[in-house]
Amino acid sequence: MRNVGIIGIGYTPVFVSKRKDVNIPEMISEAVENCYANTGLAPKDVDAMVFGNMHTFEGVNMPHLWAADHIAALGKPVMRIATGGSTGMSAIHAAYYHIASGMHDVVMVVCFEKQSEGDSQVGLMGIVTPELMAMLQAGIDVSGSSGMGAIAGGSAGAIAFQACSYLARSGAGIEHIDGMAALERRNAAKNPYAHLKDANATAATIAETPLISYPIRFGHICPTSDGATVAILASEEKAAKLVDEVAWIHGIANCASDASAGNILEGVITDPAEQMPCQIAAKQAYKRAGIEDPKKEIDYVEIYNGFAHQTLMFLEKLGMCEVGEAHKLLDAGDLEINGRCPVNASGGVVSTNAIGTSAMNRVTECALQILGRAGEHQVEKDVHKALAHGWGGLMQYVTVTILADAPQKS
Amino acid sequence: MEETRIVNATWDVSTFKYRIEGVGLRRMLSGMKDAKLIGVKCPECTTVYLPGSFYCRKCHIAIDEAVEVSDHGEVMTYTIGYADVRGNPLDEPRVSPMVKFDGCDTWIMGVLQGVKPEDVHVGMRVKIAWAEDRTGSLQDMMYFVPE
Amino acid sequence: MDKKVAIAGYRMKGACDLITTRERLTFELTRGLFDDLGIDRHYVDTVIFSTNDFLDGRTISNVFLDPPAGAYLKDESKVEMDGLNALMYAFMRIQSGEYESALLVALSLCGYQVSPYLYIEYTLNPAYDRQLGLLNELSAAGLQAQSFLSKYGYSEDLIDEIAAQNLRNAALNPDQARGMNDASGKDVKQSPYLYEPLRELHTYPATDGGCAVLLVSEDKAGELTDKPVWVLGMGQSIETYYLGERGLYESRSTREAAERAYRMAGIDDPKRKVDFAEVSSLFAPQEPILCEALGLYDPGGAAAAYGGDNDISGSLPINPSGGPLGAHPICATGLFRLNEAVKQLRGEAGKNQVKKAEVAVVHAQDGVCAQQNAVVVLGT
Repeated sequence: MRNVGIIGIGYTPVFVSKRKDVNIPEMISEAVENCYANTGLAPKDVDAMVFGNMHTFEGVNMPHLWAADHIAALGKPVMRIATGGSTGMSAIHAAYYHIASGMHDVVMVVCFEKQSEGDSQVGLMGIVTPELMAMLQAGIDVSGSSGMGAIAGGSAGAIAFQACSYLARSGAGIEHIDGMAALERRNAAKNPYAHLKDANATAATIAETPLISYPIRFGHICPTSDGATVAILASEEKAAKLVDEVAWIHGIANCASDASAGNILEGVITDPAEQMPCQIAAKQAYKRAGIEDPKKEIDYVEIYNGFAHQTLMFLEKLGMCEVGEAHKLLDAGDLEINGRCPVNASGGVVSTNAIGTSAMNRVTECALQILGRAGEHQVEKDVHKALAHGWGGLMQYVTVTILADAPQKS
Repeated sequence: MEETRIVNATWDVSTFKYRIEGVGLRRMLSGMKDAKLIGVKCPECTTVYLPGSFYCRKCHIAIDEAVEVSDHGEVMTYTIGYADVRGNPLDEPRVSPMVKFDGCDTWIMGVLQGVKPEDVHVGMRVKIAWAEDRTGSLQDMMYFVPE
Repeated sequence: MDKKVAIAGYRMKGACDLITTRERLTFELTRGLFDDLGIDRHYVDTVIFSTNDFLDGRTISNVFLDPPAGAYLKDESKVEMDGLNALMYAFMRIQSGEYESALLVALSLCGYQVSPYLYIEYTLNPAYDRQLGLLNELSAAGLQAQSFLSKYGYSEDLIDEIAAQNLRNAALNPDQARGMNDASGKDVKQSPYLYEPLRELHTYPATDGGCAVLLVSEDKAGELTDKPVWVLGMGQSIETYYLGERGLYESRSTREAAERAYRMAGIDDPKRKVDFAEVSSLFAPQEPILCEALGLYDPGGAAAAYGGDNDISGSLPINPSGGPLGAHPICATGLFRLNEAVKQLRGEAGKNQVKKAEVAVVHAQDGVCAQQNAVVVLGT
């Protein structure tokens, strides 16, 4: 099977709450131009494109149609991918298969979100709008965030069930979630593209933020950001012709379980903290990447954490540490940028969340670490292999990508 | 710097006429007046769904066998809400557990009363405080109390 | 191409008003397909969905569709475009060598919405076209129809006849939602104008429906079917968003997509090598534009082609199934065309069966006036 690598990365100049100075296609084109500029490539070098975002957040159906002229897509095959939070990595995976299949050689991935143009609560609640309406019509008392919010996937209430279950079963306490959030906000201060930065964040400052729905505090929650991310993937042969350095993809996997919402209309059959799809996808990706002991072989991890407890939870489910050990690594300082097992040096999703890009940024950030181009948030240890994790749906989609600094030997 | 204009526009989605699965819910509702929880069981993997499902998620076959599920169960996870969706503080914190009732494989959400929020814990046993005047709706079973 | 990829089977359902839920339709289609093929969900390596949040009225529209499709704990993804693109993605997954089988699930229940035309309306520029309120799917189709007629000097009789042919064919096809027995151009002319020269009977019906299709590698095809249909070529392209910059009387991106598909299939002369075409012409006036772009006749050759030669008994039948004028389950339409082509290639098309069915071209579109197009070539 063909080796596929990432040969270029581009971001919009900032990821912020509101980009008032550009419309959607203009914003996306910034990231596309940035990518072409810093790789020295041009549209003629790209055979096909993959485009991803969650379009209910802006109210524009299939915005790749509108953006096509602005991102040099005319005349090219363009595929639109949308899988909720994991969209960005699902798009990378689609591009991977475009190349691994032999059908294309150089594929550009373009993801974005401009949530300021829509109503994010509508977008999030929209996952279960019919169920919510049915409950209201059935006369169920859904006032109070634990009723209403709990039903809406992705907003604080439903995630609170996951966080609470995680704490109960791992032995971690809410103070660990505070500490994890603080660590990521401090990392974000070193990342020019991050949204919520706080160089002085500590577990104590995070603990001062209000409790939204136990155990989720305001300080644990991701922002909504406007931004776009672009990456160029290429086959080994083409990569050699086009660039000097490549971040290689060694194994990818995805898994979907049932939608663990806990709404009254559909009982949940899985613990939202168990994350079977994460365990399955991780094993599959490790197998394809020839990794037998991820704890030893993976140098760096980027985790999709819309909520701070998820970094700890997914570290365990990805097999990067034993169940119940993640908070101990946090306490020991192992997860810091200069630590033994650095995680989310970028600040993670909890610091920057333009939904369509969030899972993709986990891959691009791993790539930057491998290429030594992460600037101020470059980790201290050498990164030979990195693990990018994406998460989406109603707590049930997990995508995993393993990257390395050399092509995989067959 | 180029000029831009902000255009306020309402995205009128119009009304959607959703059709949602009613079979499993109807079954569950049918037991409400008698203070019974009725789920549906898959004959192949024995998973019991509540509310019932017309198919088994694991086996991918149509299922229809009604089974009664206990109204006593274990708190598998919970959350405590302090404000409503608009951010207005609630008079009292509201405990929302997800409960796995004995004999059932799915977790059901409700509201836990009769216990201080700080005393709630994963693993505690609860039971449904059935409404006195039951109308055959989900409101009949919304409230749980410690066992 | 290292490995050939075949279509092993499909299940489709389309009607003007299905009393069902998305979950139940998904279960019915996939369970039904598995039963037809004598397999269960464990046979399937990967699943690609095609649904659209704007149609389903919910974000991440396939979130509740994974378990009913048998995709529980499987590697799946979603292409938010016409389902023929999901086939292209699934094809690439199998070609990569990682998977031997792929299930496609595409559906929409139009009954959820006030109007299916909102789907295209939401692709419009929110700061400009939506504010002006002049453009919608139908007015755009009207513009395209007028552009075509003016370019080649045709009268409306031609598009009435195209619609009539499709409606006649659809009436013979049990899988279609709408058809009109013995429809004539005159019957079509009785229907009111929606946006002159576009008439009601030139236009697709609002349809609920979907389909499930199983793709397999050539190693597996034999164990599932005696009549595998091979994917010989595929291509996709997109043109400019701005209607004023396109020549609406032609479909440049369809031509590019077709060229890519034919090249991959080793077809240098589609007029001669292709036996029939299933084309996603959502409006009768679009059909000749798309067929010309598919290389099935020369620019301006529509009148000659529709002079009898592209009907079911002709030498190059176009939409022998009746096409989208018979049913347009948005997201599934391109795969409905594919399934119809599969029927033909297997000799199972009943009254719609064309004489020679060995090589077919299948087309799907997305966007206003087919801004983006996908083409697949199939063969026995």
